[in-house]
This record gives sequence, C-alpha cells and structure tokens, in this order.
Amino acid sequence: MEAADVVVTGIGMVTPLGATAPSTGDGWRVGQSARRRTLSELAGTPLERAEVGVLPELDAVGRLGGRRMLKYMSDASVLGCLAAREAAEDALLKQRFRPERVGIYSGTGLAAANVEDVVPMLRESIGADRRFSCRLFGERGLAATNPLLSFKILANMPPCLVSILEHVKGPNFIFTPWEGQTGAAFEQAWMAVANGEVDAALAGGADNPAYPATVVYLRKHGLLRDGEYPSAGAGYVVMERAESAMRDDRRAHAQVVRVDLQASDGGSRDPLAARVGRTFAAAPAILVALACQAPIGPVSLCGVDRQEFRAELKEPS
Amino acid sequence: MRRVAITGFGVVSPVGVGREAFWDALRNGRSGIGRISRFDCTTFAVQLAGEVKGELALPSEVADVAADDPKVGFAFAAAREALAGAGVEELSAEALLHVGTSLEAFDLEKVIHNGEPDFRAVAERCLSGEIQRFQIPLDTAARLLCETFGRPRQALTNCSACAAGAQAIGHGFRSVRSELFELALCGGFDSMINPLGVGGFQLLGALTADNERGPGACRPFDAARSGTVLGEGAAMLVLEPLEKARADGKHILAEVCGYGSTLDAYSLSAPDPDGDGATRAMRAALEDAGLRPDQIAHINAHGTGTRLNDEVEALAIRRVFEGVWQHIPVSSTKSMTGHLIAAAGAIEAGACLLPLLQGMMPPNPSLSRVGSGCELAHVTGEAAAFDGEYVLSNSFGFGGQNATLVLRRFDGRG
Repeated sequence: MEAADVVVTGIGMVTPLGATAPSTGDGWRVGQSARRRTLSELAGTPLERAEVGVLPELDAVGRLGGRRMLKYMSDASVLGCLAAREAAEDALLKQRFRPERVGIYSGTGLAAANVEDVVPMLRESIGADRRFSCRLFGERGLAATNPLLSFKILANMPPCLVSILEHVKGPNFIFTPWEGQTGAAFEQAWMAVANGEVDAALAGGADNPAYPATVVYLRKHGLLRDGEYPSAGAGYVVMERAESAMRDDRRAHAQVVRVDLQASDGGSRDPLAARVGRTFAAAPAILVALACQAPIGPVSLCGVDRQEFRAELKEPS
Repeated sequence: MRRVAITGFGVVSPVGVGREAFWDALRNGRSGIGRISRFDCTTFAVQLAGEVKGELALPSEVADVAADDPKVGFAFAAAREALAGAGVEELSAEALLHVGTSLEAFDLEKVIHNGEPDFRAVAERCLSGEIQRFQIPLDTAARLLCETFGRPRQALTNCSACAAGAQAIGHGFRSVRSELFELALCGGFDSMINPLGVGGFQLLGALTADNERGPGACRPFDAARSGTVLGEGAAMLVLEPLEKARADGKHILAEVCGYGSTLDAYSLSAPDPDGDGATRAMRAALEDAGLRPDQIAHINAHGTGTRLNDEVEALAIRRVFEGVWQHIPVSSTKSMTGHLIAAAGAIEAGACLLPLLQGMMPPNPSLSRVGSGCELAHVTGEAAAFDGEYVLSNSFGFGGQNATLVLRRFDGRG
C-alpha cells in the first residue's frame, strides 16, 4: 500500500506555560517561561534550591468527567488524560472514527509513587530494630496503602486510561522512560496512519519528573545540566490521513512529512528546556504539538537515551 | 514483503535456564512454582512464585545491577543466548533492539532511616553516593545490552504490561518484514518477586493464596482456579529476513508470520467480559498472516489462572475459531512457569517453538476439571504430539492491552 499523506487534526497540551494547547502555544509565542519553585520535600538537602516547573491550575475532575477514574491515576496519568482529551476533542475523534480503527502510541516517564500512598505503608513496616521488616510489611504495611497502588506505578497505565476515557480500541505501543521512547511512539503512530493500519492515531507522552524522588535521580545521574529544571507535562496529537480530514472538512494543523528516530552520539538536546523545563518522556509530544501551531516547521531533540527524534512538519497543502 | 525467520532464542525461566532446559521442562510438565525464597513472605497471603534458580554467569557490571534488580540479569542472559544461537556478535546500525518490561525496582528498605520513612535522608544518602541505586529505570537492561553488544539504530523499552513481550516481538517482526531493519533482538524480561510487586498484586486480588497447592497452584482454565502466580525471567528472539538467514547458512528455528494488537478500552483491572479486544487481536494476527482460523494447529493461551481472564479468553478463542476450536489443542504454560508479566509473551513465543521444532505441545498439568465457560481442546496431563504448521500465542495485559503472535514451522524452503 502506498503511504498516504498524514496530517495533525487534534492537539492537546498541559505544560507550565498553560493548561491547554492554545494557552501553551500563546505562552510559547510571546516568550513566556515556566514559573518555578523549590520542593519542600528536599528542604535541608543539597537540593533544597533545586527548582521545578510549576503547572497552572488544572480542572481534572471537570475535564475528565468525575472523580471515579482519578483514584486510579498517578499525576502523570492525569496530565496525559487531559492532553489526550483535548486532542481527541479537537479532532472529533470519537465522533468521526470507529474505536477499533484508532491506535494509541505513547511514551511514559519514570515511575513515581505519591508520598501519601507510600509513607503510611512504610510506617507500618518498621520493626523493633528501626528497619524495614518484610514480615510487618506483609502483616500491616500492605493494609495501610492504597490498594490501587499498582495502577498508579505501572508504566502502561497512563495510556491505558486514555484508551478507556477516549474509547480507543486499536493497535498500540507504550514506551518508557525517556525522550527517545516517545519519539519511537510518534514514529509508530505516523507509520500506522500512513500505511493504513489505523485511520487515526493518538500519539503523545506524559511525564512528571518534578516529583521529589525523580529530581534526586536526575541530579544524581547528571541528567540535568546547570540551569535546567524538570517540569511535569503532557502532549498528545491526533494524526490521520489528509484524505479523511478533507472529507470531513476538518482543519489540519500541520502535515507530518516524516518522523524518525536514530541512535545518536550527541549529548541530550531539548529545545524546550530553557522555557518549559525538561519534561523528558513528554518532550517530543509537546515539541510536536507546539510545532503544529505557527510557525510550523521541523523539530528535533536528542534524549538522554542517546536517540535523536526528528519530525518534519509543514503547512498542510 | 519478506518472510521473517527466528534465528536465535534465549531464555531464563522458572523451569530452567537456557532453551534446552526450558523446553525439556515444558515437554515433561515440570512446574517451576514454589514457595518464595527471595524475601520473607511468612506474613503475606500469597507465598508462591515461579523463581529463577541457578547462577547466570553475568559480567560484573551487569551482575552489580542485577543484585538490586534481578530482571536486568535475566534480560542480559537471555539476550546473550539468543545472539549466540543466531551467530550474531554485534548489534549494528541496521538492527532494532526492542524489549518489554513492567515495573521499576524500588528498594523499600532504603527509604527508612533511623526508624522513619525519611525522604530527605534518602535524598542526601543518594546524592552523597552512600546509596548507589534507589530507583532503577526500566531502560537499564536495554542500555547494558547496547554497551555490551553494540548500538542498534533504535533501542526501545516497551512497558505494555503483560502484552509487552509479545508487542516487542510483533514490532520486531514487522520491522524486519517491511525492510526497515535487517535484524531485531526482541523479547521481554521481568521480575515482580519482591515485597512491593507481590504485595501490590496481592492487593488487587490477582494472585492465588492457595499456597498449599505448591507447584500446581496456577491452574489456568480449571474449575477451581483461584488466581495467577507470579513468575520471573526473560526470553529473547533474534529475527532476520528468512532469505538472508538461509543464505548465511543459519539454523532457522521457525518463522514469525502474524501479529495483532488491540485495546479493550474497558477496565484497568478486568478484561472486557465480551472478549472483544482479545477476539480482535487474534483476528488481526490471522489477517496479518493471511491465514484462515482452521489453519492454526495449536494455541498457547494467555491462560493466567484468574477466574475472569480465563473465561473471557476461552470465549474469544471459541468465537475466533468457531467450528474448529474443538480440534485445536491449547497449552497454558503459565501453569508451569507462573505469569512472567512483561516477559510472558516472549517466553510463550519460546514455548511455541517446542511443537514447531520438536513436535510436542506442552501440557497444562494443573488442569483437572475444566471450568464452566473455559471449554477448549486443552492439552492436559502429558505433552501431546504436534504435526501442524501454524501456532498462535496470546498475551492480554493489565490495562486492556492485547497482543497475538502467529508462528510457522519452517518448511526448509526460502
């Protein structure tokens, strides 16, 4: 089958610059930078001055339609679901495509359990020797935690929640935990649409590297350069064939001419780092979503996994 | 499109390390499930798992990480065996590495300092180097494989839960078939046999607490099944273009010829009771392979031993293979290996090589009375003879991700 032209008809973003794609895009165009703060959990440590990006107010309950699903969600899941919802609504995904013909291709970041889920469990698991006791963990610790903890820390959960909320039932890939992996998700999405395996693809990523334990990990392993700071964020786009967008009279934000991922010997490079912060697994998705708004053009970044992601975008013809 | 050959297979499993030991155990119905020895499970309701036994002779830099995260060592050992079997010394720029895994390793002990969960103290100890590893990212195995065997054009880590291993193989297959890559090293690795892994799944009610049953506790499709048993290990395949493999004089184990992937979009913890997602995954794989349902001669079921999963899978198999399912033998090797989560799809692809290479289908030794709704042509008791051409393997994951692979006996013709 000949590869078809692929266009983006839906964009969704949550970043420190804005809670939606338009607000993030506006912030980016006017030169806005993320608000930052230090983390109280790191007070008194060598990282007490380490900053993280601050997200705007989010109405997750209102936008995702109730609290029931939120109890299953990590912070990254919430962000991913919000961005995916915005992209899906922008493209009228549910109204226009059969669920079986839509795929999800996504990247997720490092696991991050909420302190409120973990601390009670650990408190109940400390023995007389003041150390962790496996016996007490089994006897009392488990009972003290959120029984849905596994859903919050399993890396595939954010996109699976997206599939449930957006009723997407087609092919799928979920990669983790760095930029290059989300780049692979975009490449798979683009190819699946171009070769007709799916009619539409939700492609994106969500990450919360601003979580205290993750900040420690990133700093310890030198994954943030001087002046860089981690930010939570998410981005999703809907890709479909130009033909279906035209048929349904949908506005195409951009045409995706090519996406690829290659091993690279260069150091990590993220064009969003200075103003959005390092969003790692979310970065390729946010980069593409931003590039689908004017000015439209090619984007590239190189992840800490030493893989270079490139997407060639142009004005839709 | 090109035909895709399996030229290498490596495995680390609860029933044996190395492919001959693995196949021998499956052929003889030997279970690797037993009481957990990895940690003190005395107070856990769930006390069984399929643990890997024996030493893996890992290089020191891998052994060092594996001491904190055993699954990394499993991945390395399985990849090393697969590459050696395929006669591949190096992953080149024409190669794809795609591995599946599921949950990061966390050391709960390290979070406690002076008798309290103290994150600040942990942070300081991490930053000072007193704690070397607190969180081990899921791409660690891929990174170590690249450092040892060379850098492929893409190195991917898939985290699609129980479907991850099958997805990695499916992607590898399609990438080689469509000439995007000349070689794929793909598979899965996992171990959740730690307090948080076992405890977390215990809380979800997914694991059997029928500890008295020991090796026979994982009972896929049995009327008295009461949950799955966690296993651990890794399996890796080397995939190459069939014509090239033949020209190079390689021993071809089998072909991969079909892959299907779907989502339930129903629930995080339970399959769609209608079996729609599973049905579509199998049909997509058959269509991808260009096969009719009656051409499948053997199925390796996902078969977890949980009440709802088995019933839904059986329903889906009967629907896809309507009119012929009574004649398609079904093996459920989790009865012996336990559920290897992200490695399950890969290790079960390896189990499918047993009938294709040795003409024997593994049994489901713990199945004594088929559960209501689980009616299929189960292979029970002992291994059964096989002389078919195509086999199908299912992997259905937590979160509603489904993946199906179709493998073919290599007929000697290129």
